[in-house]
Amino acid sequence: MTAVTAWRIQHIDLGAELPGLERSPGHAGLTAVLWLHGVPLGRLDYLDAELPVPASALAAAIPRAIAPAVGDRLFGRGFEGALPLRGPVPPSEPDLGAILSMPDLLGPLKDALALPPAPTEGQGLSVIICTRDRPEHLARCLDSLEPGQPWIGEIIVVDNGSRPEAVRALVANHPKARYVAEPRPGLSIARNTGIRQARHEILAFTDDDVQVHPDWAARILAGFSTPETMCVTGLVLPTELETEAQVVFERELGGFGQGLQRICFDAAFFARMLRYGVPVWRIGAGANMAIRRSALERVGAFDERLGAGAAGCSEDSEFWYRLLAAGWTCRYEPAAVVFHEHRREWQELRRQMHDYMRGHVAALLVQYAQHRHAGNLRRLALSIPHHYAMLLARAAFQRRFSGRFRLIGTEVLGALSGLGAIRWAGRKDRTPLPRPEEAAP
Amino acid sequence: MDDVSYRMLELDVEAPPPSIEFRDGEAGIALILRRKRRPVGFLLQDRGSRSRIGAEEVARLVSREAAARVLQDRLREELGPGPSRTPMPPVSVAICTRNRPEQLRRCLDSLRALDPPPEALAAGFEILVIDNAPPDDATRRIVEGFPGIRYVLEPKPGLNFARNRALREARGDILAFVDDDVVVDHGWLGGLHAAWSENPDARGFTGLVLPYTLSSRAQILFEQRGGFRRGFDRIRYRQAQLDNALFPCSAGIFGAGANMAFDRATLLAIGGFDEALDTGPPLPGGGDLDIFYRVARTGHTFVYEPQFAVFHEHRRDLAGLQRQYWTWGLAHAAFVMKSYAADPPYRPHFRRLIAWWFKDQLRHLARSLLGRPNALPPRMVVVELLGGVVGLFGEYGRSLQRIERIRKAHT
Repeated sequence: MTAVTAWRIQHIDLGAELPGLERSPGHAGLTAVLWLHGVPLGRLDYLDAELPVPASALAAAIPRAIAPAVGDRLFGRGFEGALPLRGPVPPSEPDLGAILSMPDLLGPLKDALALPPAPTEGQGLSVIICTRDRPEHLARCLDSLEPGQPWIGEIIVVDNGSRPEAVRALVANHPKARYVAEPRPGLSIARNTGIRQARHEILAFTDDDVQVHPDWAARILAGFSTPETMCVTGLVLPTELETEAQVVFERELGGFGQGLQRICFDAAFFARMLRYGVPVWRIGAGANMAIRRSALERVGAFDERLGAGAAGCSEDSEFWYRLLAAGWTCRYEPAAVVFHEHRREWQELRRQMHDYMRGHVAALLVQYAQHRHAGNLRRLALSIPHHYAMLLARAAFQRRFSGRFRLIGTEVLGALSGLGAIRWAGRKDRTPLPRPEEAAP
Repeated sequence: MDDVSYRMLELDVEAPPPSIEFRDGEAGIALILRRKRRPVGFLLQDRGSRSRIGAEEVARLVSREAAARVLQDRLREELGPGPSRTPMPPVSVAICTRNRPEQLRRCLDSLRALDPPPEALAAGFEILVIDNAPPDDATRRIVEGFPGIRYVLEPKPGLNFARNRALREARGDILAFVDDDVVVDHGWLGGLHAAWSENPDARGFTGLVLPYTLSSRAQILFEQRGGFRRGFDRIRYRQAQLDNALFPCSAGIFGAGANMAFDRATLLAIGGFDEALDTGPPLPGGGDLDIFYRVARTGHTFVYEPQFAVFHEHRRDLAGLQRQYWTWGLAHAAFVMKSYAADPPYRPHFRRLIAWWFKDQLRHLARSLLGRPNALPPRMVVVELLGGVVGLFGEYGRSLQRIERIRKAHT
């Protein structure tokens, strides 16, 4: 028996007339993403058996779904996104007086969600896309980066092992894009190369398998709201959840989403979590992040021994680790949205999870070697084994070895192979600091 | 003598919070929070060793309980659409009562004080009192004092005999049931109207049940353990629920029989209430679980609406409360065994539900033995557990025989 696992994703604009939610054959459920002024504010999940939902019932369900994100934008206190903390968390309670004293909510909300003013000609941010032999994906990604957007200063496509003609042709069609070849394989290497070619102060990274929301660049820029903010990450929504692998990744492994409220990861967060191993991977995803160029001068470049094509992944989170350790701030800004096509095939997901765990373990070793923060070892020796022991116990208790549970073996193997980083983690990363080069236009 | 009490206070969240001075004998306060007269929150606060709660602390309590919901409320008003003005089809309200004339009078008074009035909300409105096997004519005399209210005598003793009588007698398309020991909130019918207009596919409705008084230890205990409250968020139920593998068998989540309404045609189509449940002693319960479950199993939508609110007078004495826990254990198990037999596709659900129920009771027992806050006295938990065990072993069958005898005696 093959169970229906696919989920349909429906985007709903709260500024327009609400539709009713219908059943759709072949889907186990429906995720409705609720948008206002181009920002995702809420999400409602319905099982197929809960559908259809008439428009009037949807309207009644919406306020509760969007209240946390609206509260975050309008009032802050009591509605902040939850930091991944352990131990007793000091409660943050909303202030009823503030909520009552605002004469109307939608007006201020509109202001809070307004796009920042457009930068002057030739400014904006540098978008760096590293690609490897996926021209169809890259074409869609470039299409989504509309050249008319003033916030996009330039696009650097780093070709990390494709047929160059295909990529060159795509780049030639896009007025703001430049082609850079980086034959040495590895995502960190490619990103560092992209950085060397970039001209602007804010460097935004995305992958070839995503499409960005039209306001993405503007929202990323607006996320750098304080001088201490060295990194901004955004929300990664799935383009589709049509296969089991995609559903398991998004719904059981947590996907790339960190919720719809903003989260500020600062030095205080780092200090609180130091002894447990700071969960920097919860800051966001490398497919949707941006950094200040000055961050590179302060903490160095991406570690070329980590990341896809090398240890597996976590080159982004290890970089964030260095930023937080040095007292800087990373912000998660869910208004900056990209859409990611999750791996469709189970084999691809297995491999991805294997690499994730390998990279994660390697990054913990590197972080320990660099900073001597014992929390990284605690996570390695206690938290990760405990996590998998609990998962196995749950799988045994539920007598169910489907979905997420089928990945346990692969993940454990990945983690074990990540331990190979012991051999080199102690050495100094010799990645030279990327500096802007005078590149031919 | 049991004279502990909590003072019940209604606060408008938009008004400046008062400070609260405790009077002698008061062990705490219960705050019912409203905004624009609609209930938006409820909280219990123990007195401790204090003589008063300052306005600042009251403000903090109110904010913690209601701030997020007030934000939702305001968003709803601004996002629209505004409340529907389409009147409901005719509504009948049935009060099944037995020998509680004073409480019945109070309940009828509250139904006469609905605001907005029924004419503004429904195409018709009638109130029926089903007098169930009365020992005297006190109930009839009370009803005679309310012109326009229909009095129906149902001689067969048993709440579900009375409810089925109401089902046959009622003329409204929507049939609401309230117990005789409740007082309806002024916005009760408005809440039902809102739930009905938002969910045109709904065939069953339940609503908020708040305490009417908290003037004895038994009443406070029951409310501290959650009472009949099901929260202040509207909930729409259909045939499944995310992350609830027991749905819809765990029928207690829908609400309580003290305050419920149905599409009358749907009730008739599924054969009405099961007269072997809610029979009065020895099995005075389970009828609400059964009807919620069966309506939900028809595939229709079921809605919980907090504005559809009543105030229920809980058992005053500890012995009564203890009996009630026995009954709940017994009746829940009887409902489970009946449904297990009657609804084969859902047997795995019911097996899980039984396992969950016993685990949950044992958890309550552990909390109670450890003296955790808001835990019941151990004997109440034990009594409920025992009720559950007895209920699993043939109680429903015994009840079927008992009602057969009642039916025969009345033909």
